[in-house]
Amino acid sequence: MPWLNPKRALFVLAALLLAAPALAQDTPVKGGTAIVVLGSDPEHLNPGISTSYPVGAVGANVFSGLVRLAASGRPEGDLAESWTVSDDNLTYTFKLRQANFHDGTPVTSADVVYSMVEIEAPNHGRFKTAYDKIASIEAPDAETVVITLKEPYAPLLSLLSVFDAPVLPKHLYEGTDPLTNAANNAPVGSGPFKFADWVRGERVEIVRNDDYYLEPALLDKLIFRIVPQDVGRSTALEVGEADLLWGFYMPPADLPRLAADKDINTWTGITIPALYFVFINTNTPGLDDARVRQAIMYAVDRDQVVEQAQGGLGQAGSGPFGAGFPYAYDEATDYRTLYPYDPAKAKELLAEAGVTGLKLRYVYDSARGAFAAAGDIMRDQLKQVGIDLVLQPAERAVMVDRVYKGDYDLSMQSFTSGGDPAIGYHRIYHSAEPGTPFVNATGYADPDVDSWLAEAGGLADQNARAVYYHLLDEKLSKDVPVMVMFDELASEASSANLRGMRTLLDQRDGLEFLWFAKP
Amino acid sequence: MAAEGGGSGLALYALRRALNAIPLILGVVVVNFVLIALAPGDPVTSLIGEYPAPPEYVERVRHDFGLDRSLPERLGLYLVNVAKGDLGFSFANRQPVLDLLLQRLGRTLILMLSTVVVATTVGLVLGVLAVRKPGSLTDRGATGFALLGYAVPEFWLGQLLILVFAVSLGWLPAGGFRSVRVEYTGLAAVLDTLKHMILPMAALSFRYMAITTRLTRASLLEVMSSQYIVAARGRGLSEAAILWRHALRAAALPVVTVIGYNFAFIVAGSALVETVFGWPGIGRLMYDSIYTRDYPVLLGILLFVSVTVIIVNLITDALYAVLDPRVRY
Repeated sequence: MPWLNPKRALFVLAALLLAAPALAQDTPVKGGTAIVVLGSDPEHLNPGISTSYPVGAVGANVFSGLVRLAASGRPEGDLAESWTVSDDNLTYTFKLRQANFHDGTPVTSADVVYSMVEIEAPNHGRFKTAYDKIASIEAPDAETVVITLKEPYAPLLSLLSVFDAPVLPKHLYEGTDPLTNAANNAPVGSGPFKFADWVRGERVEIVRNDDYYLEPALLDKLIFRIVPQDVGRSTALEVGEADLLWGFYMPPADLPRLAADKDINTWTGITIPALYFVFINTNTPGLDDARVRQAIMYAVDRDQVVEQAQGGLGQAGSGPFGAGFPYAYDEATDYRTLYPYDPAKAKELLAEAGVTGLKLRYVYDSARGAFAAAGDIMRDQLKQVGIDLVLQPAERAVMVDRVYKGDYDLSMQSFTSGGDPAIGYHRIYHSAEPGTPFVNATGYADPDVDSWLAEAGGLADQNARAVYYHLLDEKLSKDVPVMVMFDELASEASSANLRGMRTLLDQRDGLEFLWFAKP
Repeated sequence: MAAEGGGSGLALYALRRALNAIPLILGVVVVNFVLIALAPGDPVTSLIGEYPAPPEYVERVRHDFGLDRSLPERLGLYLVNVAKGDLGFSFANRQPVLDLLLQRLGRTLILMLSTVVVATTVGLVLGVLAVRKPGSLTDRGATGFALLGYAVPEFWLGQLLILVFAVSLGWLPAGGFRSVRVEYTGLAAVLDTLKHMILPMAALSFRYMAITTRLTRASLLEVMSSQYIVAARGRGLSEAAILWRHALRAAALPVVTVIGYNFAFIVAGSALVETVFGWPGIGRLMYDSIYTRDYPVLLGILLFVSVTVIIVNLITDALYAVLDPRVRY
């Protein structure tokens, strides 16, 4: 038998031996404690009543939603084992798995209905957008949940994940005020980790739930360590006091230094599309003329902003909804070809509009280094075309107050799409609810735009949605109520030993897949 | 009247001073309350995250925290509650303010008290060493240190210390109150926290070390040229005995005063140092509370700091009286 040839056998053996360590490194191992960095304490640990980042980070791993979003963005079953959608796209029927809360109580459809109707609809900003489209949520039996829509709504499934519609234990919340319930500080969920301890200002600890209804977590324990200063966060990783640092908490300028460290792995890419942009207050005299807003587009070199303010972590803006959703992008109105850096063209437009000596206030969150750096660049570049930009840094609380009350001229902001332009971006352009934080602050109002946004959000079919997004792209690229600066590139830094990150769409989700190559 | 009464005179004096402090504290509370309430920014903003919250939610949060009432009404309610020992409920932490303060108090106190002790001791010794041979290398070294120490901001020094001793040399932890990866118990836990304390304490004490050095040196120089030191020299006492036994006692007076005076600044400094080192104490709670507009917590901390400063001033005045018999109550 030829394969018994000793030389050949030796070769095969050698190859196997060489491959062994590599194989060992790729097989997930159980055990260990990973330390994840948070920039501030969560306010509480109930993701059903807040959209705050740290609340979601801990909450997503303690609680479960009906669905979870795979790395591709596609919804897959979480507490829901399966679901069906009616032909008219109005009725969603979910079948629940056998699952228990961490106190041993079974999860039933009553918990799902109670969480959505009593807790999330009145208290959760993102879930409310879905709830406005919902006619009823019913529990015909303990394992079934039926959601009926008033009109088709494409992003419904995305809004049923743990970040927007976590399933909370009805028996602990019923008859109490969900905002002040003690369980908010010691959560009881049905997710892969159980809450263990919280020392404010220092750490939140969660431990593996061995009774988890899907594959139990690999790590024994996860510690969210609170490091208030951004310099301190990168340092914690460098000196081995932390294992995982999300880009949300990392200054882009630190990334090259971390990447050069052999004990640290860094990653950049797109998870959930997010946009950085500049609101233009259309009520400011001068800025009420679309030609002036277009002039600002020509006058600012957005590539330079990406390079210098964002450490290269971005891609110059391509349109009102970014490049993250192919159906919402229209090549014909790509900002990079439509509005190249062209100060001469900007001057021409300003002259045409009869605007001279424009002096604008740039209001931004002083804690965001990239916003300050972008302000410096814009000030220099706008000066070239005769616009005087006055930088007005403000604390976040003050900035939000000023901007959403219209007391600004230009303001840089970043919004995440939430996985669908209808969830995260429509609020930028829609004219409803003026003065509400985190919705349209530019004063831009156009009935066509409002109705196209409603159509684009309502249709389930992406090709059908594309028709309305292309109409929006064309209109918004002429009116320019906001200057889309760049599409964000997400980043992450982790100890070289850690594996299994970003198994799901949101970087904060699916930490049960983390494991150490060398525990 | 002279203080022949000794202890009882001192006690009466302390009592009178303590009673005087009450309207002072009341004034501090009112001014703090009004200033904080008038500052721009809405506490609800930090509670809702980055998405628009349903209006019902915003309204309910306002109602729950009493933010829908008028300013005088809120102030009156606050004063009544404080008089009852209730400092209110934190917006951001969803806990009673008093609990929050008590959780963090110990950590800030060990940092602050060790800073005061280390800074005073080192400052006194450096000051004395400098005076022994005015104009010598030691003297010039101490003077230079005093100048530098006074000029360097705590948060910058803190970051420098982290870079050198935590990142480059790897000798000490970069931040936090204790190890996160390993949980120690007993003596090991104490040692672990001590190790975590070294850098923040160094960053916080540098400035007060410098102030104390300079002050000790200056007042010692003055005392050393005074009549009674000349007399002591005439009696043939050794220079060391004169310096340590006679001169230092007199020279320590302004140093004691300055500890009390500096206390409020140490609290402010600890807010910065605790933030740089992620030390979960009151200083960092104050920093976080400013950022989230957590009014009740801010007011609670300011009240605590005011009362502490008043008490420390009281103690230093009393100490002054003990050290210097010329002081009348």
